[in-house]
Amino acid sequence: MKIVKINEDNCIYCHLCEVACIVEHSQSKDIIKAFKKEERPIARCSVEFNYPLSLSIMCRHCDDAPCMEACQNGAMHRDERGYVTVDSNKCVGCWMCVMACPYGVIKRDTRREVWGLSTKCDACPDRKIPACVEACPNNALTFEEI
Amino acid sequence: MKIVIIGNSVAGINAVEAIREKDKISDIRVISDEQTRAYSHPLLPNFVVGDVSRAEERFYYRHRAFYEKNNVKTILGKSVVKVFPKNKYVQLNNEEKVEYDKLLIACGGKPIIPKMQGVELEGVHTLTNIKSADRLKSELSDIKSCVVVGGGLIGSKTAEKLAKKGIKVTLVELMKRVLFPVLDDTGADYIHKELKNLGVKLILEDSVVELKGDKKVKEVVLSSGKKIETDSVVVAVGVRPNLDFVSDSDIETNKGILVNDYMQTNIDTIYAAGDVVEAYDIVIAQKRPIPILPLAARQGRIAGLNIIDSNIKYKGGFPTNSITIGKTSFISMGIVDSDEFEVLQIQNGNEYRKFLIDDNKLVGAILVGNIEKAGMFNWMIQNKFDVSWIKDTFLNSDFGWKYFNKAFRVLRLDRKIK
Amino acid sequence: MKWMKNLKTYTPPAFTVIRDNDRCIRCKACVEQCSFDATFYDEEEDKVWNWDSNCVSCNRCAAICPTEAITIEKRDYSYRRNYSWESHIDGLKKRAIFGGTPVVSMGNDKPYKIYWDHMLLNASQVTNPSIDPLREPMELKTFLGKKPHSISVENVSLKTKLSPQLELDVPIMFAAMSYGALSYNVVEALGRAAKEMGTFYNSGEGGLNKDHYKFKGNIIVQVASGRFGVHKPYLDVGSAIEIKIGQGAKPGIGGHLPGEKVTETISETRMMPQGSDAISPAPHHDVYSIEDLRQLIYALKEATEYTKPIIVKIAAVHNVAAIASGITRAGADIICIDGFKGGTGASPQVIRDNVGLPIELALAVVDERLRSEGIRQDISIIASGGIRNSMDVVKAIALGADAVYIGTAALLAIGCTMCQQCHTGRCAWGITTQDPHLSKRVNPDIASERLINLLKVWSLEIKETMGAMGINSIESLRGNRLNLRGIDLSDRELEILGILPAGE
Repeated sequence: MKIVKINEDNCIYCHLCEVACIVEHSQSKDIIKAFKKEERPIARCSVEFNYPLSLSIMCRHCDDAPCMEACQNGAMHRDERGYVTVDSNKCVGCWMCVMACPYGVIKRDTRREVWGLSTKCDACPDRKIPACVEACPNNALTFEEI
Repeated sequence: MKIVIIGNSVAGINAVEAIREKDKISDIRVISDEQTRAYSHPLLPNFVVGDVSRAEERFYYRHRAFYEKNNVKTILGKSVVKVFPKNKYVQLNNEEKVEYDKLLIACGGKPIIPKMQGVELEGVHTLTNIKSADRLKSELSDIKSCVVVGGGLIGSKTAEKLAKKGIKVTLVELMKRVLFPVLDDTGADYIHKELKNLGVKLILEDSVVELKGDKKVKEVVLSSGKKIETDSVVVAVGVRPNLDFVSDSDIETNKGILVNDYMQTNIDTIYAAGDVVEAYDIVIAQKRPIPILPLAARQGRIAGLNIIDSNIKYKGGFPTNSITIGKTSFISMGIVDSDEFEVLQIQNGNEYRKFLIDDNKLVGAILVGNIEKAGMFNWMIQNKFDVSWIKDTFLNSDFGWKYFNKAFRVLRLDRKIK
Repeated sequence: MKWMKNLKTYTPPAFTVIRDNDRCIRCKACVEQCSFDATFYDEEEDKVWNWDSNCVSCNRCAAICPTEAITIEKRDYSYRRNYSWESHIDGLKKRAIFGGTPVVSMGNDKPYKIYWDHMLLNASQVTNPSIDPLREPMELKTFLGKKPHSISVENVSLKTKLSPQLELDVPIMFAAMSYGALSYNVVEALGRAAKEMGTFYNSGEGGLNKDHYKFKGNIIVQVASGRFGVHKPYLDVGSAIEIKIGQGAKPGIGGHLPGEKVTETISETRMMPQGSDAISPAPHHDVYSIEDLRQLIYALKEATEYTKPIIVKIAAVHNVAAIASGITRAGADIICIDGFKGGTGASPQVIRDNVGLPIELALAVVDERLRSEGIRQDISIIASGGIRNSMDVVKAIALGADAVYIGTAALLAIGCTMCQQCHTGRCAWGITTQDPHLSKRVNPDIASERLINLLKVWSLEIKETMGAMGINSIESLRGNRLNLRGIDLSDRELEILGILPAGE
């Protein structure tokens, strides 16, 4: 299974992976609307910086995913493609997945009325190559078998 | 092969999934005394106040089609009376016998009811299964005030939910703080504050000795002599392994069913997993029941894999808890309050971070407010990771991969080290 | 705004950054990418601001902006128009304010005549038919080095002992740009591309990082006046050794690598203290005559047991033909002539803009001089300094060059936008910087691929043009000035170039 490989030596700290992720997970999938008109989705990848290092980190889609194990109602599941994804209709925001994720890549979206929503990389189900990989200007993210 | 699983919740369901990964043929039967398909126990307080209902998929642990898809036969609404290991069958409460080749006991826990007079009165509730939740829910509209006995995870959550409904809630906790084993004083203070903001009255270092009333509970008497008028009580002092039908069998038990690293009991063909067992606690290095959901899932999965002879070891677990009260989220893991270890902590407004380190191994952590990346610490505890070179960065609220050594980071992110 | 303008140091900004606020999504990619402090984000206002005085028009922000919200415009002079003064006002003021001479890079940018653009190529029609390079074999292979006056053959094999030769699959090499001036990743990319394309990368004066010894076989090592990083293993890695007497960017003056660029690895490679300026003297202090040069050439030949050709590189200056003759007689195998348009190197502006010669003229006179003295076969000529495209290569070879060096063109392929800030060490494109965070901006995988693409496309274009001329080997094009015609040139210029005017 292909996942996003992180080549930190090439990361130039431009945040375009986050931008692309936000656009891909927005309603309109239009960059300007996503940022200016809609409620902005949370980027599934996050760029860390510690001079001179920078790197973008997102879900590694573990084989034995601890987040799935910790999920209290099966919202965190493996989809048909084999990627670990959150069913937003089920997620109750108990953050047990946050507690379990060994990579620390699950983010909390607390903007819903009743339930929180765990937000993580879904490997872009509508695309052949994830948006972040396509947007990366320096091949710091590549989509590869790992 | 005939596989029988007693218990239709987290451990049992994960065992089914593990078995079906490789074995599509064996006959799997799941026995449960409950009528419903597997549901999410932590959602029971939400269920009671109506955040979620039976009609919503969100309430359930697995989809409706789970049993059919995995070719599992269910025997619901029947409880197991006795296990006969020699003859390899279990007897149900309707005299029916269910034969097995391999048996998994995953029947979970039972609420602990502390010794006090009047527990049989009407209006006294527990909240560990859907039956008890249904009962509480049906009376909810008549409840004006409630005494929650026990400030554990269920107790605190129930107090929060009921208070939000406008019910006058009093929380009685024996220890000096709520969530005693899960948080330390500083951490618990955040919860105290959140609960007080919601109007919950906290009574700490006190316990209930008597429930008074004619037919229905009217008053709660505490050991301090204090009396609280109430029209309902929720007893939530915790759960213990449900050993009802194993206690007089040959299956070895202590506080819970004893299992080896393969989740196997002293009888070869019988496995056990979940809240019912005593499994290895990696942090305190001894076996004990840890009734938490992620471990039940892992144990169930490992039991399932070993039932089909995969020979997978359970490496041990440790307590991990995540709870949100009001607007504050808490995550704690391992040992959280001890003077024996090196302690790193920082408190900064709504954020609190605490780490306990024993001989350069992380043994526990509390994160309040900023809980992101908590799982990275979880990993460090689980893998006894040498934190000597990185612990200085634990207190940074932007803790992350950037602080790791490059070679290690690359290997981990490339999934070369699990 | 973080800054406040101060009259004491004011010169009008040369560029304006125009930001379309409707398009700007405040992603701050530009803020991070600007290495010249010309872009910043104000969280309170949720606005990205620009400080135009700091903008060098490197276009990194415009390139990275995902919504094309940024345009950079050249600011027009707001001074009263004055043909003779207007381009000198700011330079004069800067000297007066800062008390120093401005340092610039990227070669002479004054509008001197570009002779390449005044030469036209021939094509075959009917007689001597043109050749289709996609159907017919077409040879670009080039050997650089001393050729024998005559050869003798015995039993079908060559009896004459040949001097060492550099074998090039394409007659284009990467010019001397040192590790120190360039970032590690750029050197890596140039080395990889040279290896893939069967050509050479010249290490420049800064020595060679041990990691890059792997490019042995595709490296030319340089020995310059500073002698930085010169030792036996270094000489051994080179397929040829180049003695740098001068370079087109700054004829007659030495080199200067600012201390900020002398990082730990650079200091190791150059064998000099970290953080101190690397100063190459203007002359080689052991070379004051052709005889001295001959000694140095033979010292290097001795050191490498006569296995490697020796290149002598000089800047194109007024009496270049006589100097080239001397160099040939001093025993060099290859001469490199560097024109004044070239120069990835940093240089004082006055030198860059006023000293040197166009490579076209220098090349023509050197080739002519060596031929007339009967020593052309004793030396190969590399032309460099301002080779901008494949047709410049063809014209250079027709004028008499054996091969060319490209420097600026290679950097452009990697991302350079010629903002002329190489000397600051803050290159926003990660090319001429030693800042480890900035230098990551060049990914050697991408950069080497682009260089390879460039050389492949240029090769194809050269083959196409040669085919059109009815020539199937680069050997037949060399010094073939009959295939060139001058346009818009004076009789004297035509005479110097040794070509006929268009129409004749």
